[in-house]
Amino acid sequence: MNSAPGRVPDGPEPDLERVWLGVASEVWRRRPGPCERLAARALRSPGLARALLTTPSLLLPWLVASVLVFALGAVASVGTGQPVVALAAPALAAVAVAYAYGPGLDPAWELSRSMAVSDRSVLLARVLAVFALDAALGLLASAVSGAAAAVAFGWLAPMTAVSALALAVATTARSPNAGAAAGMGAWAIAVLSGQSATGRVAEAVTGSAFVLPCLALAAGCSVVVLVMTRTPKGLS
Amino acid sequence: MNVEINDLTRRFGRTRAVDGVDLRTGPGVLGLLGPNGAGKTSLLRMIATVIPPSSGTLRLLERDPGAAGPRREIRRRLGYLPQDLGYYPGFTVVDFVEYFALLKEVPPARVPAAVAAAVERVGLGDKAKSKLRTLSGGMLRRAGIAQAIVNDPELLLFDEPTAGLDPEQRVEFRTLLRDLGTRATVVVSTHLVEDVGAACGEVVLMHQGRIAFQGTPEQLTARGEGHGTGDAPLERGYSAVLAEARS
Repeated sequence: MNSAPGRVPDGPEPDLERVWLGVASEVWRRRPGPCERLAARALRSPGLARALLTTPSLLLPWLVASVLVFALGAVASVGTGQPVVALAAPALAAVAVAYAYGPGLDPAWELSRSMAVSDRSVLLARVLAVFALDAALGLLASAVSGAAAAVAFGWLAPMTAVSALALAVATTARSPNAGAAAGMGAWAIAVLSGQSATGRVAEAVTGSAFVLPCLALAAGCSVVVLVMTRTPKGLS
Repeated sequence: MNVEINDLTRRFGRTRAVDGVDLRTGPGVLGLLGPNGAGKTSLLRMIATVIPPSSGTLRLLERDPGAAGPRREIRRRLGYLPQDLGYYPGFTVVDFVEYFALLKEVPPARVPAAVAAAVERVGLGDKAKSKLRTLSGGMLRRAGIAQAIVNDPELLLFDEPTAGLDPEQRVEFRTLLRDLGTRATVVVSTHLVEDVGAACGEVVLMHQGRIAFQGTPEQLTARGEGHGTGDAPLERGYSAVLAEARS
């Protein structure tokens, strides 16, 4: 039915509220960046991807600081001939892993625990991402500093162990600070005990004797994390 | 029944925060009253599946939250506003509400419309793109309410929702509560008796982890006739029941 120009056509009134909500949803819509889209595809969960990108130890200031520390480590390694990167990487990773998720760190931690995307999934996704990033930065810094392959890869096992220890303590004590302190403390003890036994500061990252105990510690700590983050049986 | 609780207990060390509570409720608004330390927040956190009970049984939306699959389904249909709502200072209101919509597994295609509806519903449309760190306490509380309702939940849990709201906002919130209660089960923990009188169809009064009274606001008011202290009839009923529980 045609209507005269300037005349409001007959018929039901438009639902202005609904129209406005349609406009608002388009105007306010957030466009996820490439990293978030990639993570959502990889994790098959947009919620988990968004949670991953809010990881405190993956935010830009932390990333810049990590890159700087590894770069300085590479420069120091070249200058002094000591495997500074290899010695720094496990401690850095332990702190980053401990600060990935938890009460006091994640502002809405209490709320997150009532979400369909479980906090355990968030924790594991964040920890794996942080660990992978620190491992990649460490490998890059080792390659740049021209470290021998044995040294370059020698820190991966200790890094896994102290990161797992930091995470286990952080989840058990519900304190990222405790986790970071445990990880760094354990690594300092390992380095100093290696040095006192052999006289070489790099013993902890070059001696093969450390590899198996490190992997055993990592496995044990992973079990602790899985136990501590399980849903209690008494929930029902 | 959307909430079925039998002999529910929660202990923290040697303290029984919730002590043998039985409660069944369906759609409508249920007010959870009680003095500080009565166990309201602990009960609410158990219903929100944040903490497990020490003993007793809990069924939510006719599902067992103890099993992973049903628990996930409950959480998709749950809205929760904790007493201490943490927020991400760098997030805008829309970012914040959208974040929790995604964590509640609202289908991604529906998220923008759901976020817009929730933000408008709490009256934060003009602040939608404002950073949370720039908002007042009352506005932050409303952003928290928006995230709670973004998934159109069947079970809504509010812990002190009117804290920080000005009188006008509180009146608006009570209207929202009544509206939400027509379709969902809404449990509101508060120590403001007037909120309960204005918005709730049922009242539970807790004292030392136990239920001291359960009934309608009118029944609570009747308990105060000729007894109790307080300015309003419902307050007199509240204080009369508490005095009886303490004696």
